[in-house]
Amino acid sequence: MVQVRYERYHIPIETVPSMAPPVPKFVITRASNCVNCGKCEKACIYGVHKRKESDPREMADPLSHLCKNCFRCISDCPQRALTMSLGSDFKALGRGIWTPLRISTIWGEAETGKIPVLGAGYRGMFAGPDYDGMWTDMSEIVRPTRDGIHGRETISTSTDIGRRPLWLDFDGDGKLSTELPPVIELSIPMIFDSTRLDAAGTNSLMGYAMAAKTLDTLMMVPMDRITRELMETAPAQIVPVLPEGTDPRSVELDTRTRMVELRVGSSWKMVAKAIMKRFPDKVLSLRVQASRGIEGTVLEMLEADVPVIHVEYDEDGREHGRGETRHAKDSLRAVHTAMTAKGLRDKATIIAGGGIAAAEHVPKTIVCGADAVTLETALMVALSCRYCPSCTPSSCPASIDKATQEWVQGRVTNMVGAWRDQMLEMLGAMGIREVRRLRGEVGRAIFYDDIQKELLSTIAGGAIRG
Amino acid sequence: MGKRADPYSDAYPEVSLAPAERLQFMNRYVVHRADTCISCGMCESLCPYGVHKRVEGHAKILPPDDRKCIGPSCEVNYFFCVANCPTKSLSVRESDNYSSMGDPRWPVEMIMATWRQAETGKPIPLDDPGNVGRSGGGFDKLYFKLPEAKGRFDPEKTATSIPLNRRGSGTRIEIPIPVYGGGMSFGSISVHTMTARAKAAKMWNTFICTGEGGYPDALIPYQDHVITQIATGLFGVREQTIQRSRILEFKYAQGAKPGLGGHLLGDKNTPDVARMREAVPYTSLFSPFPFHSVYSVEDHKKHLDWAAAINPKALLSVKVSTPNDVEMVSVGSYYAGAHIVHLDGGYGGTGAAPEIAKKNIAMPIEYAIPKVHKFLINEGIRDQVTLVASGGLRTAMDVAKAITLGADCAVIGTADLVAVGCVRCGNCESGRGCPRGIATTDPDLQAITDSSWGAKRIYNMYSSWRLQWCELLHRFGMSDISELRGRYDLLAHGDNPTREVGK
Repeated sequence: MVQVRYERYHIPIETVPSMAPPVPKFVITRASNCVNCGKCEKACIYGVHKRKESDPREMADPLSHLCKNCFRCISDCPQRALTMSLGSDFKALGRGIWTPLRISTIWGEAETGKIPVLGAGYRGMFAGPDYDGMWTDMSEIVRPTRDGIHGRETISTSTDIGRRPLWLDFDGDGKLSTELPPVIELSIPMIFDSTRLDAAGTNSLMGYAMAAKTLDTLMMVPMDRITRELMETAPAQIVPVLPEGTDPRSVELDTRTRMVELRVGSSWKMVAKAIMKRFPDKVLSLRVQASRGIEGTVLEMLEADVPVIHVEYDEDGREHGRGETRHAKDSLRAVHTAMTAKGLRDKATIIAGGGIAAAEHVPKTIVCGADAVTLETALMVALSCRYCPSCTPSSCPASIDKATQEWVQGRVTNMVGAWRDQMLEMLGAMGIREVRRLRGEVGRAIFYDDIQKELLSTIAGGAIRG
Repeated sequence: MGKRADPYSDAYPEVSLAPAERLQFMNRYVVHRADTCISCGMCESLCPYGVHKRVEGHAKILPPDDRKCIGPSCEVNYFFCVANCPTKSLSVRESDNYSSMGDPRWPVEMIMATWRQAETGKPIPLDDPGNVGRSGGGFDKLYFKLPEAKGRFDPEKTATSIPLNRRGSGTRIEIPIPVYGGGMSFGSISVHTMTARAKAAKMWNTFICTGEGGYPDALIPYQDHVITQIATGLFGVREQTIQRSRILEFKYAQGAKPGLGGHLLGDKNTPDVARMREAVPYTSLFSPFPFHSVYSVEDHKKHLDWAAAINPKALLSVKVSTPNDVEMVSVGSYYAGAHIVHLDGGYGGTGAAPEIAKKNIAMPIEYAIPKVHKFLINEGIRDQVTLVASGGLRTAMDVAKAITLGADCAVIGTADLVAVGCVRCGNCESGRGCPRGIATTDPDLQAITDSSWGAKRIYNMYSSWRLQWCELLHRFGMSDISELRGRYDLLAHGDNPTREVGK
């Protein structure tokens, strides 16, 4: 049954402060030649400098996490006793595509649920690899209004997960004779994937499930980690993930389960067929590791009538395997193009996972051809995780294992809320009113390699990638 | 283009020093004096830069003033203090302050070079590191294939002026330098900062733009040099403000937040700002997007006709952002009657914008300029349009590169603010606003910026820029800056060859 919604989708946002100590980007140090004159206290409008409460004759240690890089205390200090440096803990945050900036941005989003808004222009690199070499379009004059963002009209972020018949048949009486396959409508194109979060404790999993419920999305959980408590918390959200080579006869699913996922092994065709037959009311997703030639695999799955294909990239959003692997940006475009060329794009849903590290990655992945994305590491980072190279509960600087379920739910809901709002900004700028229409819209994006070649190749050396 | 002498050179005021104690804080190096120092005074007698100072009667030598130090490269000099100290008490290294300032688009070298130019009005070398950013693309990867310098150049024989009306009819306006000031609204910046920019614009006989926050009375004395912006919020736009301007700017979109309308967060919407904008104080003001009266190119023409009916003498500028179809928008604007087509690229400045919009929406200006320039040539209307570029143009060389890519002139915003002491900390959007008293509406903070001092600094910066353009033209054997336009052959793409900095 299609559920009819009369309420506008809304994500409840409430400030959820971090429990971990702040990681200051700028560190202010006070040298011993300070004469405690207090000029820095007057100069700083952010409250970095204060006198000691115990002894007001002396200045307290600077509260570096409040520093915003304005240099006023440094220029006003008559003794030149203050120094600003880039925080070494901040610089050490994350690895790979998880840059300190991305991590600290997510921390802010998870705390406030708000879109990051700052003064001054863009401060980063001109372009970059992968999604950084991609801009989305905007629509200048002739286009629908974008007032949806401010509430007068809506921009829909709903997406459908499942197979859609390519046509409908009607019998002589005008009655629908096509059997409609099950489809799940999600209010956001972001699905939680906990299968890659080995470090996530029971409380975190529960919190994620509660957030998935609040947000009206799904959460993929390895079959062996699904507890009764988890299932009862969010029965319609939990997507059991079956290991490859599962015996279809041994699978037991809760009646409230809407979707089940199978990891692709050599016998996937047989297993998928058997599961679809056994559970006709549930949506089946096949999870396949993307590697070179993924588009061929996807076409094969289309032929086998697989309704959902979950293409899994590595942590950095690249294809698995050695040698020349493609980033999801190029790999998904190839998948989308191959499906479109066969006239079968709408037959299956493509979910892309891996390497989603910032709000803009969601719409960009969809522009490249996915219907929805999965969030993995981002779910951890929302909990103040620093994405350290080694991870054990005892060494965790953010003590994530001590987090309560409600705190996890709030942080993740905030982050997704901020990401959705940012997606609305991008859709609004493009004049696109629903995220379904964003899928594969590469004509409404600008790719670094293309435009560099088109416009600067007449300049010596201009066609070469910077 | 025929060669002509600069018709304006007599009219420029002299540059005059505009220093500021509070901008003298930056030290590139740290000179450390260990406790083993015996205060012999050897270092003071050696250092010609004045790092070391010993006051007669003091038992100890003063702490080193490392702002004056030229760094470890001094070791080649006989007077290098570290090598000559008898007790080996001195050491010198890079300073943390220096590496904490700036970002890839505005590295610390560029901020410091802009301050230097604003203080003295003296040009920096064309290949100065202060002329290039470290963003790894766009202007930062384009450089001029400069021939060897031959002889001296005479700025008075080099023309840098640009006509703003290239249509056959209507008011003729020419500006002596190929730049004017971009829209920064009252509310996003203080009235002192606005007045400083307006005064500088008057000195250079060019323009600044009100931005979308209305037309403060303080600008009326400079009305011949103030563009009235008509933006989607129509904040403070009245018949009088339209009638008193020589140029009217329709802002469809801003590069930093294309397709998103304007943002002024509640904290900065003080009662004065709210009165000007006819809004409720301390509410966040988001102007809509797009103009709700414009949904087609015909509506757009109606819009321009409306402004022309209120002020028939004014030139009409259309400011648009840089989508994929920017060239069509430009042509449409021209046929609707615009004199100036102003492209605002994605990496430009802003008082407040969602971070996601700055990097990800619409193309950088470096691509939009050649796209539009080539299209206008094919349409056969290139010489009827004044094509203005903005959005991430930071230095004299960026302006020259933009012109070479196909623009006629440039619009500058952030560099003006840096000239009056902005450190690019990026906290203009909320709270009391700018701690350095530039982009703020806080009564105490805005008093930091004196408008006459600020005007001098902005004037000085453009003086330096003009001399750099003159040198560039001289190196290419040109005498008029419009000769640069569309000369892709003068540019190369790659790492900018910059000289080592001594200090």
